[in-house]
Order: sequence, then C-alpha cells, then structure tokens
Amino acid sequence: MTGVFRGRDGHEVDALITDGYLEALLAAHARGADRAPTASDPADAIRRTSDRLARDLPRLHPSFRFEEALAARLADVATRMRLPVAAGAEGLIVPLPVAEPRSDHPDDLADALEGAVSGRVRRPLIIGGALTSAALSLAGAAYVAWRLNRPSVSPMVRAAREVARTRPV
Amino acid sequence: MARPAFWKVDRPEEGGPRLIHLDRDRRLVEAAQADPARFEALYRKYLAQVYSYAFYELRDHHEAEDATERTFLAALTNLGRFEERARPADGEGASTFRVWLFQIARNAVAERRRRLHRRPEAPLEAAASVAAPVDLEGDLARHDEAAAAWRAVGRLPDDRRRALILRFVDEMSTAEIAGVLERSEGAVRVLIHRALRSVARDLDDPSR
Repeated sequence: MTGVFRGRDGHEVDALITDGYLEALLAAHARGADRAPTASDPADAIRRTSDRLARDLPRLHPSFRFEEALAARLADVATRMRLPVAAGAEGLIVPLPVAEPRSDHPDDLADALEGAVSGRVRRPLIIGGALTSAALSLAGAAYVAWRLNRPSVSPMVRAAREVARTRPV
Repeated sequence: MARPAFWKVDRPEEGGPRLIHLDRDRRLVEAAQADPARFEALYRKYLAQVYSYAFYELRDHHEAEDATERTFLAALTNLGRFEERARPADGEGASTFRVWLFQIARNAVAERRRRLHRRPEAPLEAAASVAAPVDLEGDLARHDEAAAAWRAVGRLPDDRRRALILRFVDEMSTAEIAGVLERSEGAVRVLIHRALRSVARDLDDPSR
C-alpha cells in the first residue's frame, strides 16, 4: 500500500477511492462528458449507486414568484443598510452653530436661535446617521438659519424678537 | 463543476511555499460588502443551491422557502463579518463564501426542523406528501428509479443524508462539505462512503 493510502485503515482507503471516483464522476457530469478513468474504482455497488444518484437526484429551484419576492426584500434591506452612508455616515465632523442656554428662560427660543446663527457658540456635531438618531441634519440647520434671517410677516413674532434682543442678560 | 481556486505563495516564515485559498466569489463578495445592493449577484448565484439543500432537508416547499429566506437575509446583514480565510483543511475558521453561506443555511434548516419536531401533528414525511404544492415525489413517480433514489436518500441518518446532498445535489468538494459540517475531510469521506453503501443496500432491497 503506497502514497495516499499509507497508514490508513480499510474504511479510510475505501472512502478515499470512493471520493476519487465521485470527483471524476461529478466533474464529468458538469462538463456533460463521460467520466474520466480513475486510478482505482470502488466496489461495484458503490459505483452503480453513485452513477444513479448523480443522474437521478433532482436539483430544485424555488418558484419565480418566491425568487423575485425575496430579491425585492433583500433589495429593501440593502437600501436600509446604505441609508447611513447617504446621510453622511463617513463620520465627518462639522462645526454646527448651536446656542447654549444663556439664562433661566428656556423658552427664549428666538434668542437662542439667533445666537446659533450669529455663531456666538460653536459645538462640534458628528453628522452620520443623524436623520434617524438625532433628527438633526445639515439641511435642518440651514432651514433654521433661513427661518431666523427671514423677515417675519407676523407683527407678534417681530415684537417677540425685538424684546429678546433688548432684554438685559 | 466549479471548484475553489488555490494559489501557491511563498511563506518563508512558515518554512516554504504553501497553498492559500482564493475564494472564487471574492469579487462578488467585495462588491457586496462595499455596496449591499450588489448582494443580488450572490443571491441569484446560490438561490437554487440553498433552496435545494433546504428542500432535501425539510421535504416541504414552504419550510424550504422559509429557511432559504432566513439564510439570505442573515447572510446579507452579516456580510460585513464574512472574512475569506484559508481552505477548510487549514484548520478552524477556514471558510469561503459558499461554505459560510451553507453554514448559515444549515443553522436555518436546523431551526426549522426543531420547530417541526415540536409539532408532532405535522411530521416531516407527512409534510412532504400532504402540504407541498411542488409534489416532487408525485412528479418523480413517472420515473421509478429517481423516486426510489429520492426515498432511499430520505431514509438515511441526518449526517449521512446531509453529506450526500451537499456532494451530489450541490456538487460541493469534500473540503467544502467539511467546512459546512464542521468535520474533517476524512470524516466526510467516510460519511459519504457509508451513505452510498446504505443507499446501495436500500435500492437492492426488493421489499422497498
């Protein structure tokens, strides 16, 4: 007994011979050709059974409807996996002006926002997946800035802003 | 039959050249890892193989679809963790994408089987003959030999049947099957050899 068979028991040698036979058989099937000869063939019953299984065991495919439905579901999951990237998940740190509360008047929104726009207080904010986590984005910051700079059409809002500006700290 | 590619490289620190495994799906996997939308190519490539494996294991169309769906969803969401490594013979953790995918499928199938076994009113054999819209056995009845082979494989113990299906239906190499089943290549060879002997006896038995 030589080569790959050395030091193996009878079962292992038989299994190796069968394995070599299957390798040649399945490779030939894939090519649509006859089986190439191997160094040694397995027992007749093993050979016949292998030939039969290679020929008769069907390969199955799910329905077209299932295939497309799952493809759509995977595409949906893939889109959601890509969303953080689209929102800037590259982790860019953008200095976004955000006002600190200056007084014990937390409802003094107009003043706080004006401070933010004028850039008095700057705090770094990581933009990345922000649309879903902090509900804040560059687009949101731009919108706030636009709202504050826009002349208000309401006399009440204009009056409130004026009071906020003139109130002593 | 598609086979994994192997590449000879010099590894002087390990005493000379050795073979490392190059996954034949490397490009597709890297594309999908960079952009999950490109996972579709891997899905289309392996759908039938995973579904076949699940159907042979579960013998029910709906259960096989469910296991297939779970397999691909898990593969997509965990694709970032997939790491191409050495061939299975190189030791623990060795993997290629197909081996990794079928390890997921094996777990998904095992989960479905556990669930089916908890429902004694719907055993596997009954599910196959009653519930399956794709009446495989009925279709195969026109081909007696094929039907007999299908039944003989179905009567094998789990580990032998699994190895035989991966070899004949999914056309995996012994090394790949070893990776999926987490056994040595030698153990897989013996498993398949014994499975073939059992099927041969079964097919030769006139009472079957």
